[in-house]
Amino acid sequence: MTALPPHIAPVISGQVRYSQDQELPGMLHARILRSPFAHARIVRVDASALPDGVVALLPADVRELGRYGCQIKDQSVLAFDRARYAGDPVAAVAAESAEEAEEALASIEVDYEELPAALGIDDALTAQVLVHDRIQISDNDASYFGIRPESGTNVCHRFRIAHGDIDEGFARADVIVEETFRTAAAQHAAMEPHACLASWDGDRLDLWTGTHTPFNVREDVAGVFGLPEENVRVVCPPMGGSFGAKTFVRLEALTAALARKASRPVRCVLPRSEEWVTNNRHPSLIRVRIGALEDGTLVAKDVQAWIDTGAYADCGPGVAVKIGYSVVGPYRIPNVSVESRCVYTNAPPNGAFRGFGATQAVWASESLMDRLADRLGIDPLDLRLRNVLRSGDTFCTGEAVHDVHFADCLERAASAIGWKDGRRGKGLCVLLKGMQTPSRAAIAIEAEDDGSYTLRCATAEMGQGSRRALSLVASELLGVPVEEVRFPDPDTSIVPYDTRATSSRSTYMMGRALEEAVRDLRHDGRRGVGEVRNEGGLDPDTGQGLASSHWHQGAGAAVVRVDEETGKVEVVRLHAAVYAGRVVNPPGAELQNEGSMIMGLGGALLEGVVFADGQVTNANLSDYEIPSIADMPELTHELVQQVGAEVHGLGETAVPPVPAAIGNALGSLGLHVTELPITAEAVLDAVDRRDRAAREPA
Amino acid sequence: MQPEFIAPRSLEEVLAVRAERGDEATVLAGGTFLTILINQRLLQPSCLLSLGGVPGLNEIVANGDLRLGAMTRHRAVERSPEVVEGWPALARAFSIVASPRVRNQATVGGVLADADYASDPPAILCALRARAVARRSSGEREIPIDELITGYYETSLEPDEVIVEARVPRNDGPAVYRKFRSRSHEDRPCVSVAAARHEGTLRVVVGAVSGRPQLFPDVCSLADGVRLDRELATEIGRRYSEAIEPIGDVRGSAGYRRRIIAVEVRRALEELNA
Amino acid sequence: MKVSFRLNGRPALVHAGAGENLLTVLRRDLGVLSVRETCGIGVCGACTALVDGEPISTCLLLAPLADGCEIVTVEGLPDDHAVPRAFAEAHAFQCGFCTPGMILTAAALLDENPTPTDEEIRAALAGNLCRCGCYVKIMEAVRLAAV
Repeated sequence: MTALPPHIAPVISGQVRYSQDQELPGMLHARILRSPFAHARIVRVDASALPDGVVALLPADVRELGRYGCQIKDQSVLAFDRARYAGDPVAAVAAESAEEAEEALASIEVDYEELPAALGIDDALTAQVLVHDRIQISDNDASYFGIRPESGTNVCHRFRIAHGDIDEGFARADVIVEETFRTAAAQHAAMEPHACLASWDGDRLDLWTGTHTPFNVREDVAGVFGLPEENVRVVCPPMGGSFGAKTFVRLEALTAALARKASRPVRCVLPRSEEWVTNNRHPSLIRVRIGALEDGTLVAKDVQAWIDTGAYADCGPGVAVKIGYSVVGPYRIPNVSVESRCVYTNAPPNGAFRGFGATQAVWASESLMDRLADRLGIDPLDLRLRNVLRSGDTFCTGEAVHDVHFADCLERAASAIGWKDGRRGKGLCVLLKGMQTPSRAAIAIEAEDDGSYTLRCATAEMGQGSRRALSLVASELLGVPVEEVRFPDPDTSIVPYDTRATSSRSTYMMGRALEEAVRDLRHDGRRGVGEVRNEGGLDPDTGQGLASSHWHQGAGAAVVRVDEETGKVEVVRLHAAVYAGRVVNPPGAELQNEGSMIMGLGGALLEGVVFADGQVTNANLSDYEIPSIADMPELTHELVQQVGAEVHGLGETAVPPVPAAIGNALGSLGLHVTELPITAEAVLDAVDRRDRAAREPA
Repeated sequence: MQPEFIAPRSLEEVLAVRAERGDEATVLAGGTFLTILINQRLLQPSCLLSLGGVPGLNEIVANGDLRLGAMTRHRAVERSPEVVEGWPALARAFSIVASPRVRNQATVGGVLADADYASDPPAILCALRARAVARRSSGEREIPIDELITGYYETSLEPDEVIVEARVPRNDGPAVYRKFRSRSHEDRPCVSVAAARHEGTLRVVVGAVSGRPQLFPDVCSLADGVRLDRELATEIGRRYSEAIEPIGDVRGSAGYRRRIIAVEVRRALEELNA
Repeated sequence: MKVSFRLNGRPALVHAGAGENLLTVLRRDLGVLSVRETCGIGVCGACTALVDGEPISTCLLLAPLADGCEIVTVEGLPDDHAVPRAFAEAHAFQCGFCTPGMILTAAALLDENPTPTDEEIRAALAGNLCRCGCYVKIMEAVRLAAV
């Protein structure tokens, strides 16, 4: 297939070599032994029966190593005192083949003393179990926002917004509605599992790993082994999807420790079932109370949110912050009070997941908007349009918003599903999502002797298309065909520092850095470096400041049909209108939107991790289902553009509006659900509740 | 340890191995289910006895009765003009099992011997009064499907027996198969209902809710000689829902399944009547 | 045990355990990395190969059962095959992990049914999961290849 363009041919012909395909001569294969208990003291680990030729990493090997964690350093390479979730690694082995390694696991004996566990948010807030006795805040730049643990509890971070006077606001309200919403844990289920290859040369470590946070990984792993950061090199081969799963340290510290002990390169490719005990989406419990005047003007909003970050904080504190302001929604509300807490439990760690808290926040916030519209007797679209942020308005963080298009997105979404022709079975949703702020990005351009150019930056390829988009921008800026722009895999020993390719910021931030790099290149014609920063951040105690240097904005619309005898929901139509600013790579942008909507559809109806006694019971792709092509509704979307506008990241904006739009479509039929995923069983219960209420005298 | 692999060229040889080694020789047909168990180390057979080399086991013969050889792939059943013509509900049930990939590999004998509660074919085969033909060196017997499958992944097959064929008698009335999925289109059934009329007698079989296909002839006999109207369909559904002790899993709780059984049995009977 | 088959038109001979699946053999012994493991239970389609012309989950096919078969992976499709070209033209991929399986499944569908309806395309591809969610463009690609 030589005639296909070089950025397409390897994909189509199956020649992409992913993280899991990386190899080194003499490489061993790793498997991990995990705790069967949600919470247990590790009494004894005995590897004396280990088969010959197998290397085991045991608690004694890691006790003296440093802890890691992007925001709180709470994770050791293996659990050596207590296992804090069912699935917590307690030992690992490396052998000539994955099969031998798997078999060797059975030769290691571990004695546990089971401890009472905190299973779920409610439990963690009331139980006497402390998942961590004390915590150490990380100095990694992912913990930029000021972490506020509540000592003596399982709360590892509390973020607060205080805007206006909440009591006075509710006192003015003619109508107040409130509700509690929950979302289950969800699993990223990237097609390629987590995979990492580690190799040591003296005290220098090379890691080839599926991650889009190479510099965070480098910093944390160097800390574990007490090495200068330069001694650790992180290379990011393409990933078979991530959706947030492949961020921060996952397998890297453990694989490196095994490789060091084995004095051989070691590769760890995670068996599918272990994905569910490695990183999931935060379950949430969100109580929202909102007050409005009779005419629909919002006057007060009070939110109490808790997210379950599992046994290790990961980026949970950051998710709590994002939830904190996303849950206010893109509305002008003079009086706002939010408390958003990140809670340790004895569940597998929860981390970044496409949407980064917005899915949970928008589910709660936008579902309640429809309840309010109901109570006020106002069309839900009109209620939103009356209150959405317009250019120059002040958000609850005190920042003025500009370049905002919420009303436009909403009206487009509504019109796409024929909102004005009747609202039964139809639902709408609007959202705002912040971009990583503060952050910085840097990129280098090198001119090659053959006239081509090489881009060096930390943006990893996981299917999101940022690298294609950046290549196109570079080709435009440099005035060369895109084929003349090369873009090797990120390698921390070569590329300039970058915060990370998360939060849908790569195209935007890197695009700006690229412009600077091209300017810089003009000086010597050989190499140019560009760096940009977006400054800002919020005060963790008041929520005031600058949440985001620009806003991801969108609206979703859904049409549903319900089998009221079974509760089965059929989504007939989905539409999303997303503000894109300026689109660089149209097919890539469309794919991001479509993919986001389909992931939103899965999150709405199918996807929830199920636990029994702290153990995941649906850790396979038959019991945990993701959408197939046959589950697709008629799906359309639009990228709202503006001449001269900035590029806006599109990686996740269309995920969060989908569940809430579907929930609101159900609400239009009198079927009120408060929990994600929306199971057929829950809808059938809602049918019962509605019908019971109709029978009861008013 | 890798298993021994035996692939006899004749049925006699297969039966001889089974006679000698019994369940120690794990019978391998298409292998879809078995391979999952092996991949996940839930099963580590010492010997695999493949039926793949035995001639004649993948034939479909429709000559009065329908005979489906044990090695007949699901795809062959769904594509067979004879089956589509004479047993359309059966062809349909086979055509909606899993994906084309699985149906290219999974066999009629395999799906019966696996006795997986959430497979589609057992319920419709049971409603159609099919029998599994089990052969051993000393002879063969025919086992009705609801007697073959005795529980979750359990059958009444003896260690020296091998299923060689499914025999499906001609059905003179209509038959239907309904697969209710509570989640995605690709899901296994939460509740499945097969229903068939033959010589005025009704057979309703509910699958995926319990260890074995659920058939209640007493309840079905309510329809003997009377018109199956909506009221009667509802009543039969209600009785099935009361009679069955459904399981609860990710596809629905026991209580939910109970309600769905009532609805889906009624719908199947309405469809049967349409 | 010895297992021999034809792989993409050429004879192949491997030594495999009877309990090993074809996916393992293709990746480990024959270096075919376009077949990929995602689910390990036959529900995702990332390890699809054509076996005697029909799509199969290689993770569910024990190696000895491949003996004597004609096996085709995406590398074995002719250069001018309509399906891969259509996937490229329609940009029907993101991370690309599922793409070879999708292409092979679509190729088998079009072999059997050159002018499928949308419903038939969905039914044929429903067992191939794409977590990036490229389904809109995958539908377009198959329609394009069918023309």
